[in-house]
Amino acid sequence: MPETVQHTIVDSRGSACPGPITDLAMAYRRAKVGDVIELWATDPGVKADVRAWAAKTKNEVASLDQQQEKIVATLRILKR
Amino acid sequence: MTTTVHPAASAAQNQAAATTDKLSIIMFSGTADKFIPLGVLAQAAAAMGTEVNIFVTGFALGAFTKHPKELPFPVEFSAMAPIVAQGMAKAHVASWDTMLRTAHELGAKIYACSMMSGVMGLEKDDFNDLVEDVVGAASFLQTAENGQLLFI
Repeated sequence: MPETVQHTIVDSRGSACPGPITDLAMAYRRAKVGDVIELWATDPGVKADVRAWAAKTKNEVASLDQQQEKIVATLRILKR
Repeated sequence: MTTTVHPAASAAQNQAAATTDKLSIIMFSGTADKFIPLGVLAQAAAAMGTEVNIFVTGFALGAFTKHPKELPFPVEFSAMAPIVAQGMAKAHVASWDTMLRTAHELGAKIYACSMMSGVMGLEKDDFNDLVEDVVGAASFLQTAENGQLLFI
């Protein structure tokens, strides 16, 4: 039976670059394949940074939404 | 046996060999402004999973001792320094040493230059816990080989 998929919310609102991407990297260290990390941020650079991070680490950006007060990026962990 | 080398394929192979996932930074400057990009780039690269190596030399060495002096702002930026400091605090930008500590936690390695350590009368024990070792320029260049290299 497969392990339970973890859905972790990482709240990086108010943190400046490279804070959010670092918080994501810290959560990634604890994640396993199949897990989902949801990153909340307010730094506008996070959109491009999340895509770059995912391309680099070979993980997937499942969604990237600009909401009213925050940017929400959902990342699916494909590689450890 | 005849071997045909395709020039384009060969160039692509060379390029691949020249881009190891590694960032090496030679930190030479000793003013506060230059330590900001050091912290940002080291932390960002480490977060991206890139191997990070920092070689501390010249005027930067003192900032890595156990009892560092406050870093000066260069004279030409002194009028701007308070605005930058205020803006950074407001934007919650971490201090350079906090960023470097985070980078270190993510695997970044920091080395002190042996020649400059000798000049300043510093030994391994005089440096803070971030400093991995005291090494020579040749050994650092070997560590940096085939990666990206920055001089700050």
